Amino acid sequence: MAKEIGADRLGDLYIDGGKVRRRREWRGLADTMYDYSRWLGIMATLGKFVMKPRNVKAMFRYRWMANYLAVPMMVDRHTQGLRGEYLRICHEEQDLVIKDVAKLLDSLFRGDRRIGNDTEFSKKVVLVDENEMTAVMMGFPTLKCLSRETPSTYVSVLLNQHAAEHYIDVAQEFGLAGDVCPMPEAEAGVSIDDDAPVLGACAIQCNTTCDGSLLGNGVISRRLEKEDGIPVFQLAAPLRHREDDVQEYAAQEIRNAIAFIEKHTGVKWDWKAYFECARRVNYATRCRQEWLEMNRTPWPQVFGSNLALYTETNYMAICGKVPEFERADRRITKLARQAYEKRKMAAKEYRHRAIVWGVQSHFYMDFLVWLLNCWGIVPLTDMLSMVSTRELKEEDTPENRETAIYDMAWLTENMIMRNRTHGGYRVLLDELWEFTQQFNADMVILWEHMSCKALTGMHGMFEDRARDLGIHLVWVDHDLFDPRIISRQGVRDQINNYMRTVMREEPLDPSLEVLHDEESW
Amino acid sequence: MSKPVKILLKLLLVALGLFAVTFTVYILNLDMKLTAAIEPFLQKHYDTIERNRHL
Repeated sequence: MAKEIGADRLGDLYIDGGKVRRRREWRGLADTMYDYSRWLGIMATLGKFVMKPRNVKAMFRYRWMANYLAVPMMVDRHTQGLRGEYLRICHEEQDLVIKDVAKLLDSLFRGDRRIGNDTEFSKKVVLVDENEMTAVMMGFPTLKCLSRETPSTYVSVLLNQHAAEHYIDVAQEFGLAGDVCPMPEAEAGVSIDDDAPVLGACAIQCNTTCDGSLLGNGVISRRLEKEDGIPVFQLAAPLRHREDDVQEYAAQEIRNAIAFIEKHTGVKWDWKAYFECARRVNYATRCRQEWLEMNRTPWPQVFGSNLALYTETNYMAICGKVPEFERADRRITKLARQAYEKRKMAAKEYRHRAIVWGVQSHFYMDFLVWLLNCWGIVPLTDMLSMVSTRELKEEDTPENRETAIYDMAWLTENMIMRNRTHGGYRVLLDELWEFTQQFNADMVILWEHMSCKALTGMHGMFEDRARDLGIHLVWVDHDLFDPRIISRQGVRDQINNYMRTVMREEPLDPSLEVLHDEESW
Repeated sequence: MSKPVKILLKLLLVALGLFAVTFTVYILNLDMKLTAAIEPFLQKHYDTIERNRHL
């Protein structure tokens, strides 16, 4: 129990085979009191949520809602070992994301035909995919852009590593392939299992990233259109997104999507609201660039899951629509500058500077904190955080309105994951090595999501280039949403083996090397 | 002791009591231990819900 970073054996907090931790971390008086106050805040958010009878009703209707019992533990996992500014940055982000998800759930259940059945509200709802850039909603401030998949699968797996297993099994019971990506498979499983809220004037689906995504969307849209009577638009963004010749087609898809929403909701596109959102997107981009700039120096500040989880939420799901995220960006940047000026570190020793590439294991997002605490490997940035930095037009002029359509198309093409897993060799392979140089990294942690066909084809090419450049390349296999295939310890073992056999190093915190957390949330 | 001081003292005692209880729950992770105990019952309940399962 210590104030100093890295003085504790964090593995001692785990109970062998347990679902939860023995106790919370003592971080010294000031940081413990801060963490305690934020825990109280989370409890207040959850308390406010369950005060509404319809939310309690939903808790007893939807299987995935049980995962929300684990909300405080998710925060504990991501704040593990953190002190000072790093702890505060993590809470700024996580607590805001929790509030935003609570609002999302509340809205879903308000309009849900089975729960709140507020039909007037439902007419203002546009459903979107979980893994979809929400740029086409930037000009509809009076409509509610809601994703059913975000709370049922995406957030659920962050909360509980086993959350998607039931739905993956349901999808496979109905004959869907077992080797497809478990994320869209679980989303399809939720729909097949009749476990998705039913609401909305219309839905926009996107050809996200892969064959699995198309499969999942097909299953979901069939039920939405034929059973629930909710029309669905398929936003097919080009995969070769760096090519000039696809941009006009991409822009036309955006125009069509906007026209579809206008037709089914009766609400007209609002340019003033769009440009206001564009201004916030630009601000978020500038902040992210400043954090990444710091991460190129010996004193990185916003990195690991502090960078990854927040970027995913802010860039794709929020996309300038929620002013609270702009305020959070400002506070995070202030904390990061403060720590940078004092040359602060998040662990007692930084041994390796790593770029984390590929699609991360979703059931083990706090692995990035583990890398730092156990082995002193600093995850400077990750593939999903290296998204578009293009400045959007902010001023409302006739020319800018036309450019804005292309800006939205660009964002949609460059949504998280697909901007790297598709678009050619350069975005996935070449730019990785450019980043290793820019960030002065000596190591690449390369996630090999075994069901992701987009990445497996390049395995040998990654190895060849890493060898040429003298970069330590550590492969980490996983199956994204399914810890039954490779467990969290299975993930850790791949790092442990590399660090011991190739690097001949001892861990900074040996208590974290082997953890019996297979039953844990 | 004057009345306002007594009220203040009582408020302070209540605040201290609340702090002691909530901090104990926080540091010993009792909230998560409780919800972990509830979860299996919820799972059994979900299995009993009738569903229209199909592709």
